[in-house]
Formats: sequence, structure tokens, C-alpha cells
Amino acid sequence: MDHMAEIRDFLKKLLSSRGDRQPFTDTSSFFLSGRLGSVDAVELVVFLEEQFEIDFSETGFDQSQIDSIEAITSLLQSEKVG
Amino acid sequence: MSVAAPVTPEQFVSQDGGRLANFRLIPRIDTYPRVVAFAQTAAGKIVLLALFGLGLAYSRGQTWWALTLWLVLTTFLPDRRRMLVTIGTLFFTIPVFFLGFTHRQLYIVVLLGSVLVLGATLFWSAAHWPRSWYGRRPVFFFLSGFAVLILFASSIPETTRYYHLVWDFTAILSLYIWFIAYSLLDRKAPDCDPFGLQLGTYLPFWGSTNTPLPKGAAYLRRIEARDAGQLAVTQLKGLKLLVWSILISLFAHLFAQCVHGYLRIPTFAQALSLSVSRTPLPWYTCWASLIAGFFEIIMDFSVWGHRFVACCRMAGFNALRNTYRPLSSRTVAEFFNRFYYYYKELLVDVFFYPTFLRYFKRNGKLRLVAAIFAAACFGNAFYHFVRDLGFIQKLGLVRALVGYQVFVFYCVALATAISISRLRHRGPTPTGFIRGKLWPSFSVGVFYCLLDIFGSTERNYPLTEHFRFLAHLFNVNL
Repeated sequence: MDHMAEIRDFLKKLLSSRGDRQPFTDTSSFFLSGRLGSVDAVELVVFLEEQFEIDFSETGFDQSQIDSIEAITSLLQSEKVG
Repeated sequence: MSVAAPVTPEQFVSQDGGRLANFRLIPRIDTYPRVVAFAQTAAGKIVLLALFGLGLAYSRGQTWWALTLWLVLTTFLPDRRRMLVTIGTLFFTIPVFFLGFTHRQLYIVVLLGSVLVLGATLFWSAAHWPRSWYGRRPVFFFLSGFAVLILFASSIPETTRYYHLVWDFTAILSLYIWFIAYSLLDRKAPDCDPFGLQLGTYLPFWGSTNTPLPKGAAYLRRIEARDAGQLAVTQLKGLKLLVWSILISLFAHLFAQCVHGYLRIPTFAQALSLSVSRTPLPWYTCWASLIAGFFEIIMDFSVWGHRFVACCRMAGFNALRNTYRPLSSRTVAEFFNRFYYYYKELLVDVFFYPTFLRYFKRNGKLRLVAAIFAAACFGNAFYHFVRDLGFIQKLGLVRALVGYQVFVFYCVALATAISISRLRHRGPTPTGFIRGKLWPSFSVGVFYCLLDIFGSTERNYPLTEHFRFLAHLFNVNL
């Protein structure tokens, strides 16, 4: 499974666990739109740390970095994951 | 600490379904294509602004005309919106424009200018030396420095020449610390705004408390309307929210008249005072006071929060609501998020994430609990302690700290409850209206109602008196 698909799958499960079964695209906003919140961000951070070994304590963290699949992909690219 | 359920109204429609859930007291005009199209025309904008101005005249009192005038500018000059926000914020912040120069006004303006210069210096230093000791953790150093300033101020004898100067500077800086903190958090962003635009978010002209509404410049950049269509929808949402704020304020007025006038139920403060003087009201009246006070706080927060966010939306920024259906929360953590969203966001951004991302990475549960305590306990206590500087000046640092015991207990209890709420193993979510919605929401409401007994930062009574009141609610007299 490629990175995008993994992230998409994780976010689909996360949204679903919050009762949100609305569709989303790669540019859909999750946090700024209010679909997901701070603790959901934490779950996503842990997922990215574990799956892609990103260390946010080094890079700094801003919710906008993980606000959409597109944003996450560019974050992974900037960290040169994969 | 979480948005366990979505915050946007649209999602509730999709989740709950049914006619009742879809019923709207205020029609969803922002989804009507004809209304949105009309709101994009010059005539539509004028009508929207006129209606909004009328609403402000009712709800904001004297400053409504100046605020409306500024909203006219941000509406018709969208390319200059961020700059206008900064100018408007400075215009509304510096009262000499309205009141004329007096020595006292000039003195405050000079102190205010010093605070803003300090903010600019901190921002510039963090941006230019990102690898330095300070540049790595500027918010931590800034808040620690502010704590040291309070220590210094409280150590100066009242007879000293500089006593009032130091305290006045500290008081004005205390108004801005969380705004400066957001600027410092924004310094690493590739599209970080210059300090001039950051300034527009410092007690912005649409209104704010010490808590930045809605967050800092980074958030404003991302929620700004990009075209005429987005602006129309955002402004229609703003108008709706202002109407909602007015309706809640009218209801709150009727509620207070009915409860405290017709039913003669005392306020919580009165009930607590009678308990302290050993002439307590009957336990059921104390419950009534507590519950009425709980509802009044929620309505009060909704009224001003909706008004600020409505003005922010009218200026072209599609901010989320500050308070969104807190009584429908199914967990303690969810209520905290829904009741005062931007305060929760502040605690999360400044205390939760830094702790979570740095410490106890190998132990998931400990990591989460530590971060929750850093935000809901330490951050919450720190925020209120430095906000209420008057107590420190009046009582002295030690007595102010000792008197703070009640609110510290509140913070510990809140953080513990949120931690349990987040860590508790959950089986399948109960279904049905009573088990799935009513009972969880009722339990959460009762918890926060009881917690409110300890929610005072006034330092009037010791912790034991608050526990005495709590026991009396269950007809146990200590």
C-alpha cells in the first residue's frame, strides 16, 4: 500500500470512529473545518510517527501541516519519507 | 481536549438525520444559491452590512457604528483585508482616538507601545535565530519570563517610585501574552505573516477576551475568504450567528427574570455565601442555584462568543464557533471542547502539543495523560493566575497563591476527568436516544455542574467551604 492510500485509510477510520462518514478528497480540510479535533490530531501524529518515523519535536508542529492528505503528503516529502 | 464529535452544523444534519435534527430556528441562508448570489452583488453587500449593523446596534452598544464602518471597508476592499484588520485593531485598541489625549491616556498608550515593541522584538528574534536557545522554544521562554516579571513586580514595595509603572506594564502585557505566544508559534511557518499583520490579531477589532479569538495569524490566513463566493457564504454565516447571539441574550434575560425574579432562586454566589455564613439554603434550592448558574454561564459564553465570531466572519474570516452545543456532549473531553473552543485550542497549542511531542514517547498512555495535565491543569491554572493580576497586587504573591487553592483543585479534577475520559476503554457505543445520547449528556452536564462549585478564581473562601457546599447538595451537613 502506498503512503497516500495508507493515510487515506487511516483518516477514513478516524472520521468513521467520530461518526463522520462524509466523503473526502485529497484537499479536504480535516482540522480547520472542524471535522476532526485536537485529540484526533494526536492520533494522526502518533500514526505518522510510527509509520513514517517523523519526529515533530524536531520539526515543530502545526495542525495545518496535517490538515489535508495533500498537506500530509507534502510534509512527508519535506521529511523525505519513502 | 478533543472534538470527539464534529463541530460543523452540516455534519450534525448528516449524522442525526430526521426532521427534528434538520429543523433550524434560523434558516440556513448560506446554503440558498439565490441568497448567496445576491450577497455577492454590491446591493446585497449593503443589505447584509445594514442588517448586521442593526444587530450590532442592539448587541454592542456605543461602538456599533465604528465596527460597522470597518466591516464596510473589509467587505469592499477584500485585497486590503488583512492590512485593514491591523489598522482597525490599532484604531479600536488605542482609546485616545475616541477620548482625546490626557496624561493618563498618553501614559497607557506609551505602555501599550512598549508591550507591542517587546512583542515585535521577541517575534523578530525567534525568526532570526531559530537555532538559538531562545529560538527553539520561544513560547516557553516568553511565558517563563512573564512569570519572572510577576515575581519581580510582587517583590517591589508599594512605596517605591516604580511600583505603579511596573505593575501597569505587567497588567498591559498580561492582556497580550497569549496573542504574542500565537505569533511566536507562527514564526516557523513558511507563509508566516510579518509582525504588522500579526498585530491585527492582537485583541482584534471584532472583539476578543485574553484568549485570542479566533487563534492567531496562522489560523486567519487559512480561514480567510478567497473569492466573492466564499465571502458571501462567510458573511451570511456571520449574520446568522449574530442573530443567534441576540436570540440567546433575549432568552438569557427572560431566564434570569424567571429564575431569580419569579421563582426567587438565589444566584450560586449568594447560595455559597449563605453556606459560608452557616445559614444555608435548603439543599434543593442549592441545586437549583447551581443548575441555573450553570445554564447562565453557558448562555453568557454563547452570547459574547457568537458575537465576536459573527463579526470575525463578517470581516471575511470563516472562523468556527466558540461555543457549539455543549449540552449535547457525550464525554467530559468533548464538553471542554464545545464549551470554549478557542480557549481549549490555546491550551492545546501552547501546553498540550509541546508536552505530547517531547515527553514519554514510549508510553502512550502516560504521554497522553502528561499532555492533558500540562494543558487542562497547569496551563489552565497558569492562564487564570496571570490573568487575575489584581489579586497578586492586592494580596501579595504568597496569599494570592494560597487563595488560589480552590481553582487549582478545579484544574486537577478537570484534568483527571479528561484523562479518564480519553483513556477509558470503550465498548460499542450504546444506541438509542436514552442510553446513546440522553444519559451520557446528562452525566457530563452533572459533572460540570458540580465542578463549577470549584470554578471560582475569586479567592473569597477556602476549599473546605466549597466542599461543605458540595456535601450540603446531598443533604450532608459538615
